[in-house]
Amino acid sequence: MSFNNNLGKPHLTAIGSGKGGTGKTLIAVSLAHALAHEGERVLLCDADLGLSNTAVHLGLDDCGDLPGFLANECKLQDAIAPVLGGASIRGGFDIIAAPSGCGALANSGEIGAQQLLGKLKAAKNYDRVLLDLGAGVDAGVLRFAASSDDALLVLTPDPASLTDAYAFVKLLQRMTRNRVPQILVNMAVNDAEARRTADALIATCKNFLNSTPDYLGAVPRDPNALDAVRKQAALLTLYPQSAAARAVTAIAQRLHNRLRPGSAPLRIASAR
Amino acid sequence: MRLRTFLANDMREALSNVRAELGAEAVIVSSEKAKGGGVMVRAAVEETTREVLRENMAAFSEWHNAMAAPDYETNYRAGLIHRLRNDRPAEKTAARNFNRAELLQILRTHRAPDALAHALAETAEKAGLSDMTLALASALDKRMASAPLDLTKSVALLLTGPNGAGKSAVAAKIAAHARLCERHVRLIATDITGAGAIARLETFAQHIDVPIVVAESAEELSKAVAECAKENILAVIDTAGFDPRNGKARSAFAALAKIEHVEAIGVVSACGDAEEIADIAASLVSLSARRLIVTGLDISRRLGALAAAAMQNAALAHVTRSPYVAGGLETLTPLSLARALIDASQADRGSAQ
Repeated sequence: MSFNNNLGKPHLTAIGSGKGGTGKTLIAVSLAHALAHEGERVLLCDADLGLSNTAVHLGLDDCGDLPGFLANECKLQDAIAPVLGGASIRGGFDIIAAPSGCGALANSGEIGAQQLLGKLKAAKNYDRVLLDLGAGVDAGVLRFAASSDDALLVLTPDPASLTDAYAFVKLLQRMTRNRVPQILVNMAVNDAEARRTADALIATCKNFLNSTPDYLGAVPRDPNALDAVRKQAALLTLYPQSAAARAVTAIAQRLHNRLRPGSAPLRIASAR
Repeated sequence: MRLRTFLANDMREALSNVRAELGAEAVIVSSEKAKGGGVMVRAAVEETTREVLRENMAAFSEWHNAMAAPDYETNYRAGLIHRLRNDRPAEKTAARNFNRAELLQILRTHRAPDALAHALAETAEKAGLSDMTLALASALDKRMASAPLDLTKSVALLLTGPNGAGKSAVAAKIAAHARLCERHVRLIATDITGAGAIARLETFAQHIDVPIVVAESAEELSKAVAECAKENILAVIDTAGFDPRNGKARSAFAALAKIEHVEAIGVVSACGDAEEIADIAASLVSLSARRLIVTGLDISRRLGALAAAAMQNAALAHVTRSPYVAGGLETLTPLSLARALIDASQADRGSAQ
C-alpha cells in the first residue's frame, strides 16, 4: 500500500547540516532503514553531488547510477541499487548515488539540484525520497532543502555546528521566505545536552530571524554508531538495540506518523 | 553571527563579560552550570544583518550629518554617546579647571532647570576642588543616591510613570536580568485598556521566556502578588501610563501601590523637558516611589532631564540606554553623571578650537 497522500508523488525529505562531520550521512542511512521498517517505500538519494559517500557507509559495491539518471541515460529503476532487498521488501530500501570518488557531478550547483529534484518528484514508486545533502550552504544544497517537502537540520553540541546551522536556517529562509527546518541533534551525551543544543539554535533563530525551528529529536553519542560506520554496515542491522538505533527508530516513527493519510500535514513553520 | 562562550563565577559577571565583548545587542543563546563551578554562557551577535543594512545605514548617516547642527550635536554623538554605548573606560580628556560661570553654562546647555543649575554650581564651588568634573560630582553626590535593584531579593516591583516612559521595556529588562540571576519571574500586566499594551508585554515575555498574567483590578493584582510572594517568584508589574500630577489618576494608582509586598518604582524618560520630568518624578516620589529608573539615555543629547530626575528625593535605581531587552539596566553614579555632563561640552569645545 502507499502511505502517501501526495497524489502519487513521493514525499521529499532533505537532510542538511551546514557544517560537515555532524553525522548527516549516518542519520540519513539509518533513517532510510528505520522508515523502511515502518513500511515506507524509501529511496535514499546521496545529494552530495560532488563527494558521494553514502555507499561507503553501507559498504556497497553498487550504489546506483546518479550521473546516468541525471543525464537521462537510464530510467530510475535502472539507476537505483537495492539495499537489504530493496524498497519492495519491508525493511529494505533503494539507493541512488554517484560512484564514490567519482566527482562527476561536482559544480552542478543550483541547476543540477533543480534537475534532480524535478526527476525525483516524479518517482511514483516511492513513498519517500530521503536526500542526504552535502556540507556547506551553497546554492545547490539550499535548493534541495528549499524545494523538498520538508528539511531536517542535523546539529551537534559543537559551537561551530551551531553557527553553521544558523547560517543554513538564515540562507534557507532568505531563499524561500517560509521554510524553517526541523532540528535533529546528533552526538549529544544525554537528552539534556541535546535539548540545550537545540534551544541555543532556536533562541538564536528567534532573536535574529524571527523564526522558530521545530525540535524533532536527538540521536545520542553512541560508540556503536561509530563502530557501525567503521565496519561499513548499517547501524540498525549491526546494533538494532543500541541507544542510537533506538533513537533513530523513534524519530523515523515520528516522521512516518506525519506522512500517514489522515494524519496532520507536516508543519511548515512560517517565518513572521 | 559571532558566537562566544564565556566562563564566569556567576551570571552577573558572565553577563558583563558578554556585554563588554559582544556589545549590548548580544543575545544569550544558552547558559548552564560549568563543570568546575560557576557558569558557562554562550552568546551570539548578528553581524550579517548589519552588512545587509550597511547601505541603508550609510544613507541614514549621510542624512543625519546633513541634518545635524555642525557643532554641539555632532560632537556630542562622537564624544559622549559613542563612548557610553561602547562602555569603554573614559578617554582621558584634558582636565578642566573649575570655573563657576563655565559650569553654569554647561548645565544650561543641557537644559537643566535654572534653579538646579545654580544650586549645583554653588555647591560645586564650595567643594573647593580644582577639577571641574570632580567638583560637579561632589555637588551631585550631595543630592543624589544610587540604589540598584536587588533582583534576588525583591518581591514585587510595580513600574509606574507617564505614557511612553518605557515601563514595559523596563519590565522586560528587569525580568531578563532576574532570570539570569536564576530567579523565577512573572510579568503581571495591569493595563487592560491601552491598545496593544498586553500584546506588547506578551511579546516581550515570549522573547525572554517568562510567564505573564493579567490582573484587571487591584484585588486581582493583590492575589497575583501574594501568590508570587508565596512561591518566591519575582513579580514585575507593568501599569498603564498616567500623569502622576492628576488627582484622579493618583488615587487610582495609590490603591495598587498599597498592596502588600509591592515596591513602586518610578519610570521616567530622559528625553523630554527637564522641568516637566522633574515635576513628574517628584509626583511619583510623593506617590510612594522611593526609587526611579530613567530611560532613553541613548536618544537624549541634553542630560538636564536626567540630572533633574536624579536630584529628586528618591534613589536612582538604574538608567537604560538601549531599546534592546539585552541592553540591560545600568547604574549611574554621581561621578559618571558628572563626566557625562562635562564630556559632552568638552567634545564641543574641542571641535570649536
